[in-house]
Amino acid sequence: MLKTLLYINEDLASSIALRYTAYLNKFIPLSLHVTHVEEPEDDEQVGTGWVRRTWEDGVTSSGKQLIDRMLRTEKIDCLLAGRPKVFVGYRDTEIIYELRSGNYDLFIEGYLNSPDQDRFYDLIRSPLYTNMPCPVLVTKNLSISTRCALLCADSVDAEQLVRGSMRILGESRFTFDLVYFKFKDSEQLQTLDREEGGTNLQNTLSLMEEEGHAPEQVSVLLGAPEQVCDHLKGYALVSSTMPTRKSMRMSVLANSLASVLLVR
Amino acid sequence: MKILVTLDTKEYSQKIIKDVARLANNTLADIVLLAVQEQSREVSRELTAALLKYRQDLYSYFAPEELPYGDNGEDRWEQQGKGDWTLTARGMKQCVLRIRAGSSVSRLAVTTAREMECDLVVLGCSGEAGCEWDGEMNVPLRIAEDSSCPVLIIKNRTRVNQIVSILDQSVVSQEALEMVNQLVTVHGAGLKIIGVCKSKESDRDRLEQRMVELLRYYNDRSIDAWVKLIDTDDVREYVTRWSQEGIVALWMGGKQSLIRKLFGRSMIDRLLESTRSSLLILR
Repeated sequence: MLKTLLYINEDLASSIALRYTAYLNKFIPLSLHVTHVEEPEDDEQVGTGWVRRTWEDGVTSSGKQLIDRMLRTEKIDCLLAGRPKVFVGYRDTEIIYELRSGNYDLFIEGYLNSPDQDRFYDLIRSPLYTNMPCPVLVTKNLSISTRCALLCADSVDAEQLVRGSMRILGESRFTFDLVYFKFKDSEQLQTLDREEGGTNLQNTLSLMEEEGHAPEQVSVLLGAPEQVCDHLKGYALVSSTMPTRKSMRMSVLANSLASVLLVR
Repeated sequence: MKILVTLDTKEYSQKIIKDVARLANNTLADIVLLAVQEQSREVSRELTAALLKYRQDLYSYFAPEELPYGDNGEDRWEQQGKGDWTLTARGMKQCVLRIRAGSSVSRLAVTTAREMECDLVVLGCSGEAGCEWDGEMNVPLRIAEDSSCPVLIIKNRTRVNQIVSILDQSVVSQEALEMVNQLVTVHGAGLKIIGVCKSKESDRDRLEQRMVELLRYYNDRSIDAWVKLIDTDDVREYVTRWSQEGIVALWMGGKQSLIRKLFGRSMIDRLLESTRSSLLILR
């Protein structure tokens, strides 16, 4: 079982994340833990000692009620491995601490797609994501599919992509496709011959076969990120290495309607 | 449900009958086929023949044992008033043929829909010069603007794989949800739910609440739906682009509706011009 930490807030992104996680559980058995962080306002006077503890207890209690409301409303068909964990403090710090101390295999949180790619870039450059000790699944939509795509490109480390993805997905009941992305600003998305993917594609393919998960379909796609995103929306998730800078591949991941698994 | 289909004798009216039949089949709706003639002395033979032919075409899309509408032994038109004739076939559901006299198709269509308490107005249009009817300017646009119920304008019977529904924080009616559901089913398409908001926090919370409701509604019906939020500054360009690739469903809320403010007459006109398939205005 994958020990998984799911972050929820009282919003649409978390609503989708909850449903998605319940769906994912059908393919990958998850030991699911739920968390929420209450961030105090900057100007909140919290005092010290018992005053601070009383304040924290109050804030934690309202966080627990939030999680209860979300779980009750969404009625997901997925057992929790323990009580929901509510922390008070800076969100990124609290989550990283919990991920490290709890030795989690996977972190999941929701993200609402928007055309603003800078938002996605800010997310992956946040202290949480740059210090993430495990892969992160950014849920965007509930795609009812039994297929996953590994997204590769010239800049992607094939070993990292395949090993990292298979650590999470290797024991699952998903089938896999390999999508190799090449950018070109054109009116229509083109599918190229496999040879156009070059040695990186070949390496990725070999590694997938080594892992016992040869892809059912291999596509080399030439086009703009938005066109590739449309192609990817039929997958349950798209797995790729965590981008470290703004790039066309990052644009694909930012605009992808399918949920995105980021590995390193 | 009751669907008003506004028709004339042109090809763009003929080609929407199949879509109307599919909608009617899925919803078991009452149907009103409406045509408008200019003079009010006697009913136009051309229009009566056309409507009877459309009714026959509509019925042909149902298996005989499943046809919910009656079939009159003799087709006798009844005069309801000056310049107003009807022919009603009653079975499990009603199929009414109606011809009204007047100078404006759009005004009569809107009035008839209101009088007969229709839930949806459907019409076709010619794609040759934007989205027009022969003989009267701006029929689809006027009906889209003035109707108090949803309007579906079918420009081309192109098979689409995307229904893009644009909404804001306004309350969404059950009928509107169902109508989009029907479009998704009829086309076998995917559904995109696009929320439009300004950066104001309170509007965004309400909008997200609406989107959660929609997502639950469609997921419960095993309909794949993808969600996205866009800013008011980007919505026009986004909708214009998607009107060329799929069917756009605009949720026009009340007076405070952002969509209503953003999509005024000229924008609807532009959408009608750019769409390659259909446009659905929801209320």
